[in-house]
Amino acid sequence: MNGNMKGDDIPCNAIVADELTHWYGELVAVDHISFNVAEGEILGFLGPNGAGKTTTIRMLTGQLKPKAGKATLLGIDISKNVDRVQGDIGVCFEETNLYEQMSATENLRLFARLFGMHRFDCDALLERVGLGGRGKDRVETYSKGMKQRLMVARSIINRPRILFLDEPTVGLDPTSAESIRNIILQERERGATVFLTTHDMMEADKLSDRVAFMNQGKIVALDTPHNLKQQHGRRALKAKISTNSGKLEDREISLDTAETPDAIHELFSREQVVTIHSEEASLKDIFIKITGRELE
Amino acid sequence: MNLKRVSILLGKELLQGPKNFILIWIIVAPVLISLIVSLVFGTLFTDKPKFGVMDKGSSKLVASAQELDSIITKTYDSVSEIKQAVESGSVDLGIVLPQDLDESIMQGSQVKVTAYVWGQSLAKERIVLRATFANLARGLAGQEALVEIESATLGGEGSIPWNDRLLPFIVLMAVFIGGVFLPAISLIDEKQKKTLRALVITPTSVGDVFAAKGIVGVIISLAMGVVILTLNQAFTANPLLLVLVLTLGAVMASELGLICGALIKDATTLFAIWKVGGIVLFAPALVYMFPQIPEWVGKIMPTYYLVQPIIVISQQSGGWYDISTNVLILVGLDVLFLGMVVFTSRKAKRLIA
Repeated sequence: MNGNMKGDDIPCNAIVADELTHWYGELVAVDHISFNVAEGEILGFLGPNGAGKTTTIRMLTGQLKPKAGKATLLGIDISKNVDRVQGDIGVCFEETNLYEQMSATENLRLFARLFGMHRFDCDALLERVGLGGRGKDRVETYSKGMKQRLMVARSIINRPRILFLDEPTVGLDPTSAESIRNIILQERERGATVFLTTHDMMEADKLSDRVAFMNQGKIVALDTPHNLKQQHGRRALKAKISTNSGKLEDREISLDTAETPDAIHELFSREQVVTIHSEEASLKDIFIKITGRELE
Repeated sequence: MNLKRVSILLGKELLQGPKNFILIWIIVAPVLISLIVSLVFGTLFTDKPKFGVMDKGSSKLVASAQELDSIITKTYDSVSEIKQAVESGSVDLGIVLPQDLDESIMQGSQVKVTAYVWGQSLAKERIVLRATFANLARGLAGQEALVEIESATLGGEGSIPWNDRLLPFIVLMAVFIGGVFLPAISLIDEKQKKTLRALVITPTSVGDVFAAKGIVGVIISLAMGVVILTLNQAFTANPLLLVLVLTLGAVMASELGLICGALIKDATTLFAIWKVGGIVLFAPALVYMFPQIPEWVGKIMPTYYLVQPIIVISQQSGGWYDISTNVLILVGLDVLFLGMVVFTSRKAKRLIA
C-alpha cells in the first residue's frame, strides 16, 4: 500500500488541526479552528493582516504551543513530538531570515547538513529557483525577489512531505512571483502537501485545491474555489448600452434567477448593446461578502 | 542535544561569527592594555632575574649559580647587606645559606634556608629564582633535595607592584569580554535577524544552537586568558593548573553571555547592562588593585573565584592545595549558571516563536 494512502486509496490527512487556539494576552489570535489537509493537496489560507494566519503556521510547525486544541502532522501530535516531524517539513517564513553575510551556497549547504542531507545538489536547486550562477554571491547583495527565491529553495532543501509557505510572493515582481508559483506546483507534483498563506486571491485561486478564509481568528469558509464561487458568488452579465442621447450606460443581469432569459431577451430587443460580457464572482468578492471586509 | 548538529553550527560560528568591531574589541583591547601596562610598569623589557646569596659556609651551589647564564648571581657578606640589596632592588631574591648546607643536602637531611623578597620585585622573577635554587640543590644531592625555602617579605602590603595589582583586572577583561560578548552578540543577532527561527524549524534544537555558541565563547575566552597571562609573564608556575582555572572561568563567562543573549533584545541594551553589570564582575579586580578594600567585597562576586586562584598560582607559586576550595566554588558556580542557561534557553524558545 502506498504510504500516502489509507486503504481504498483514500488520501491520508497530512495536517489535522483540531480546535486549535492561541491568544496573546487579551487578544485571541486563533479561535478554535479545525481543518484537515490531505497529502498532496494545496490549501490556500487566506485572510487579512492580523487574521491569525501566521500564528496558525507557527502552531502547526511546532514553533508555538497551542493554548488549546491539537495539531497533528503526518499522524504525529506536534505539541508532544515536534522533533519527529521536523525532518519532514519545510517552512518558508514571511520575513526574510537568511544569513546575509554568507553566500547562497553556504546558506543552503548549512541547512542541508542540519537536515542530514548527504546527497544534495546545491547548484541544481539554485538553478531550479532561478539563481543559477549567483550561488557564490553574498546574500546581502541580492534583490528582494532573489532572497525570497532563496528562502523557497531553503524550505524545500529536505524534500519535505509538508511545505508551509507564509506569504511567499508578497511584494515581489511578477517574474519572481511566477517563478515561486511554479515551484509550488512542482512540489505538489512531487507529492508534497502545501499549506500556503497569501493575500493574493488570484494566486490562491490559481494554485489551491481548496481555500480557507480566515477572519478574526476563525475559519469562516473552507472549500474548493469552484464550490465557494458556486455557493457564494453571483454570476452576472454586464453590458454597455448606447442611449438615445448617445451616452453609454451600464446594465447588469443576474444569471442565476428565473427571470434571466426574459431579461436578456429584453436587453437585446429594446436596447442598443455596445459591449457585453459575463462576469464570475472572484474569491475576493466572496471574501468580502462573507466577512464584510477587504483583504488588505 | 545532537553533537553532529552542534559541530555543524560550531563550524558556522567559527567561520561566519562576528567579524565586526566586537571581535576587534574582544581581541585587541585586552592585548593593548596588557602591553601598555607592561610598558609603563617595566615588565616588557626586564633583564635576567637577579639572585643574591649570602653564604655562611662554602657551598658549591654559589659557584654553580654563578655559572648559569639565565640568571645574574651576586654574593654578599652579611645578612644585613643582602637585606639591603633586596630592599633596594639590586636583587630580586636574596638567600642566606647555612654553614653546613652541602653536607646536609648530600646526607638527605632536611634543610631550611631563608629567602628575602621585596614586595616591589616581580613575582615571576622570584618564581624563576626559587625554581633555579631547587634545581641546583637537586643537582648537588643527585636526587630530590629536602630543602625548605622560607620566604621573608620585606616591605608592607602597600608595596605590591602595580603590574601585579592590575593583573586580575586584565585577566578578567580578557576572559570575560570575549566569553560574554561573543555568545551574547551572536545570539542577539540571530534573534534580531530571525535566523534562529529558521534554525529551530530544522531538526536543530535551541540547545544545539546554545551549545555551539557557548563553545565558541569558551574557546575565545580561554585563548585570550592564555595570551594575556603569557604576555604578563604569569605563565611560569603550574601552567596546567592555570589552564584548568582559566577554562572554568571561560565556561562561566560563556554561560553569562548565553544568559544575556537569551534575555536581552538588542546590542545597545547589552552594552548598557554591561556598563552596570561590569562593575559587579570586575569588583574582585578592584580589591586586588586597592588592598584597602576588604577582601569580603571581592568574595561575594563570582569572578573572585577565578581571579584568586590565578593570583595564588601565578604570583605566589601556589599549588592545588592552596586553591582547591575556590576552584570547587568556581565549579559550583559553573553548574549554577548552566542551570540558568538551560532555563533561559527554554524562555528563548518561547520568545522566538
